Amino acid sequence: MNSSSQSVREFLHKVAFLQDLDDQTLSILTLLLVTKTIKSGAVIFRELDASDALYIVEQGRVVVSKHVAGEVDIVLTRFHPGDFFGEMGLFDSAPRSATAHAESDTVLWQLGRDAFHRILSDHPAMAARICHRLVTVFIQRLRATNEQAREAIRWGLEATGYSPEDTPATFGRKST
Amino acid sequence: MAEPAKLELLTRRPGEPGFEVHEVESHQAYLGFRPERPPSTEWELTPQPRGVDGSRNYILKSHKRDNYLLLGPQEYFLWEHFDGRHSLNEISRALHFEFGSFDFEIIRQFLAKLYLAGLLNEIQTMGLRRGVARRHERWWERSFAAISKYWSRLTFRVSHADHYCAALYDRGGFLLFRWPFLLLCGALLVGAIIAVSRLWPHVAEIAARMAARPLLSTAIMLVTIVFVSMLHVLVHALACKAYGRKVRDMGFFLLQGLLPTFYADVTDIFMSSRRVRVMVDFSGPMVEVMFGSVAFIGAFGSEPGFGQSLLFGVGLVLWESALLNLYPFNFLEMDGYNILADLLAMPTLRQQALAMIRRLPHRLRSGKIPDRAEWIQLGYLALCFISVLAYLIAHLDAFGVKLPAWRSVP
Repeated sequence: MNSSSQSVREFLHKVAFLQDLDDQTLSILTLLLVTKTIKSGAVIFRELDASDALYIVEQGRVVVSKHVAGEVDIVLTRFHPGDFFGEMGLFDSAPRSATAHAESDTVLWQLGRDAFHRILSDHPAMAARICHRLVTVFIQRLRATNEQAREAIRWGLEATGYSPEDTPATFGRKST
Repeated sequence: MAEPAKLELLTRRPGEPGFEVHEVESHQAYLGFRPERPPSTEWELTPQPRGVDGSRNYILKSHKRDNYLLLGPQEYFLWEHFDGRHSLNEISRALHFEFGSFDFEIIRQFLAKLYLAGLLNEIQTMGLRRGVARRHERWWERSFAAISKYWSRLTFRVSHADHYCAALYDRGGFLLFRWPFLLLCGALLVGAIIAVSRLWPHVAEIAARMAARPLLSTAIMLVTIVFVSMLHVLVHALACKAYGRKVRDMGFFLLQGLLPTFYADVTDIFMSSRRVRVMVDFSGPMVEVMFGSVAFIGAFGSEPGFGQSLLFGVGLVLWESALLNLYPFNFLEMDGYNILADLLAMPTLRQQALAMIRRLPHRLRSGKIPDRAEWIQLGYLALCFISVLAYLIAHLDAFGVKLPAWRSVP
């Protein structure tokens, strides 16, 4: 790791799913984290890659996108220092649902699925606190996704000139 | 107005590292949108006769949704360009070259019409409810909507109307549109005119005998009117079948949202010629004329009494009904209006004329001379106002208003 233990713990305290852990527990956790440095523009993982880790952003910015067509993706979200992503990989082995790119030079901390399972089995109290926090974050992200879906539909309607407020009359002749 | 929706797109160049992110606002995409009409098997377009201003309208029929759109010259131009190859930006430029300056709203409204008719495929399956957009109405608007909703429940429609009409036409309905029947109608009409002329000197006694039993007379009159009205629309529908077109619908509805009446939806005749439309329009009132004629002849052949009076009264009411139906200037879209609109090749004359009322003060202030179509709209409005006023004055006594002395003079 490129920081002192104290500064690492201070940083990890700011990460949403680790906020309930005390210093001693965080010290145990930091031993399981692996640092990765990613150059701006590089891919961290691609959609449909094997999914086996969660990432915490220490420095830089990560953009997550989903393939639409050809060489075009739609941007789903961005992550900044203190945010984490790829958490689905801790719980199931389904392929990655989106692609993550480094939008600037980025430093990440990786928590592998094996390491997470070790926490679950060896430190159940710590695991319970992490899972509780993760669920809270999942809920927030689900709400954001709903909002994003609504915006995408609004975009589609506006871009194709469709307005549900319009009630144009069709032409007809009713002989009476 | 809400901010336009935005999407962020991430693009890569094949074989090169890195990526770019672009923010695309919906209105940018709208300009680049390339509307595409469906395959020609899904629609039918029929040119209409040229209007008084020399322009031509078109009727666009959607086979998929079974509805019809009236396209003006600009909308027809747009439809021709909605080929999936031209963007709205290019189309609007072409429209400007063709017609001069125009309101961009025309394009938006035309797209909305096409979505409604199922003639643009992209959005129609989303099933968005239009009601969502109406949450913020005022209390009186909500009340009016509620009253309209209950009032509109008076309406009903016959399922598979075209199927029944086709069967009825094949099983004898076609006889109504053959020469022998038309000759019979002519003979009945002549006979009725003679009967009326002979009975007219005794009209005061005939009316007095009917007035002696007002409830029975009124009940029989009402039943007769309802029965003949049903036959009237049935004959419209059969006439439509006689020309090989489809009867979209039949039933009972509120004409102009107000007047309860039977109807036959014969919009499909717009895919035929103007002559055919006039014939279909004209066929309905002939039912009143014929039944009225039979009643007059029956009255002439009867002994003086309540029966004779009733037959004479029925004949009078049915002939008046035919006259009102064929009279075009009453603000209602009845058969006479439809014939007028067809002859002038102005299928939306009434709507245009009513819209003219709002524009009129501005037009008068501007001093601009109306064009030919506008003169016709103004003429239609003036005749409608005069006719309705005259009708009301002639029936003031029905509202309990004491007649002026000049009307009482024999």
